[in-house]
Amino acid sequence: MAKLMSFKNTVLKNLFSKPVTKNYPAEPAVYPKRSRGHIEINIEDCILCGICSMNCPSRAITVDRKAGTWTINRFDCVQCGYCTEKCPKKCLSIVPGYQEPMSMKASATYEKPVEEKKKFPQADTEVCVFCTLCAKKCPQGAITVDRAEKKWELNKDACVSCGLCESNCPKKCISMKEEN
Amino acid sequence: MGKQSIIPFGPQHPVLPEPIHLDLVIEDEKIVEAIPSIGFVHRGLEGLVKKKDFNEMTYVVERTCGICSFMHGMGYCEAVENVMNVEVPDRGKYLRTIWAEMSRIHSHLLWLGLLADAFGFESLFYQCWRMREKVLDLFELTTGGRCIFSVNKIGGVLKDIDAEMLQTMLSVFEEMETELKTIRKTFLFDYTVESRLKGVGVLTKEQAHNLGAAGPFARASGVKIDMRTRGYGAYPDLDFEPITSEIGDSFARCDVRINEIFQAIDLIRQMIGKMPSGEISAVVKGNPNGEYFMRVEQPRGEAIYYVKANGSKFLDRMRVRTPTFANLPGMLETLKGADLADVPLLILTIDPCISCTER
Repeated sequence: MAKLMSFKNTVLKNLFSKPVTKNYPAEPAVYPKRSRGHIEINIEDCILCGICSMNCPSRAITVDRKAGTWTINRFDCVQCGYCTEKCPKKCLSIVPGYQEPMSMKASATYEKPVEEKKKFPQADTEVCVFCTLCAKKCPQGAITVDRAEKKWELNKDACVSCGLCESNCPKKCISMKEEN
Repeated sequence: MGKQSIIPFGPQHPVLPEPIHLDLVIEDEKIVEAIPSIGFVHRGLEGLVKKKDFNEMTYVVERTCGICSFMHGMGYCEAVENVMNVEVPDRGKYLRTIWAEMSRIHSHLLWLGLLADAFGFESLFYQCWRMREKVLDLFELTTGGRCIFSVNKIGGVLKDIDAEMLQTMLSVFEEMETELKTIRKTFLFDYTVESRLKGVGVLTKEQAHNLGAAGPFARASGVKIDMRTRGYGAYPDLDFEPITSEIGDSFARCDVRINEIFQAIDLIRQMIGKMPSGEISAVVKGNPNGEYFMRVEQPRGEAIYYVKANGSKFLDRMRVRTPTFANLPGMLETLKGADLADVPLLILTIDPCISCTER
């Protein structure tokens, strides 16, 4: 008999208990804090360095430095969170809340407020050992270091003020200073 | 000898979540031979190593499959870490292994549901998937994703599980264990289930060994092969024995998988009890140079990741051998002599994942 009625307890329990499913959308879904819904940007902290765009596995992010805009195609984004890992300023975050369905792919563009003065890295050549680490870490290749000539040069047009050279300098001889 | 005819099975079939095509040569409702053809969902993921650097590839490899996504990422990361001689911190290893065992639980519950559906037990199917939902909720709580987790990185993991979350996990698994014991009775001691599973699709130990079967499919035939015993991740610190059965029929495969869920819950408990403190990832410098074969035990069986690097940020070659690929010859063997009505069930008993196989 046990072999025939093995499912009876489950059936009886389910008959006298509430449904496990929620009455969605009348009862809204609750997402945990870590839920990877969509990418958010704090555009004021963004320096438009483009590291997120270069590293995005699905190439969903476009950064236009001249126009001062950061654009994400929400339908190309796969919510992997690699951009949030790579962002040197940590202005990107992944937050709960999924993209709503639409009839066609749409992008969201964020415009960076115009800054009065931009900060550029400056190396103290007396402390500097010309190890070239800053040049290697620079995402834009804006730094040139000549160890033989003991020269440290910056291409201000290419520099995006990300501060990676400052944080990676082993001698801490680079500092971000406002343009004169 | 009766008249032979060929019945096409798939690629679109109600029992198949993914496309595989079989030409079934039948003689009086009995299968004489099954000729498979695959290639319907090939995406060329391995070729992407030429376009995505070795860090970005972690996110591509994870998307090979939606069920063993975590294990794919873990296997790939461990292969690259071995090439680069990176030692993952203990806590990182434990976290990876906890998520890997949770993947095993949700994969096996999904399979049990599909099996129940294949032999027409709809309400049992929903019971299994209801339980699986709890594991998915735990995944969302700890990683932020329900199917694709994106927590692996070369050198360790990206997210930590705090004490509160571990406590939640313990209570959920305790509740789940009780529910699973009830469901187990139906799967293993019910006449209707027994009549559909017992003696169906027998694969002997010799056949399983010779055909290179992997995972629960091989273990159900008595082949004691489990890559976890090789000792990657946190497994060297854990006390467990591969679960095997000597019978080799569909019922044994169901039995092995149900017991593996209990084993996975036990392993998670052991890991939570021994959880080391400290860093969750190591600092990785430079680019990989060299090659490595990494073997991991996925829910469906042994998966192999081959990585060949040349010192640049783009890998030379990345190859994945998935368990379903290894189990296809075994599946074709079980089909020989089976009833036509048992074909959907027999295809399911290897727990096929075609998107893994075709990558």
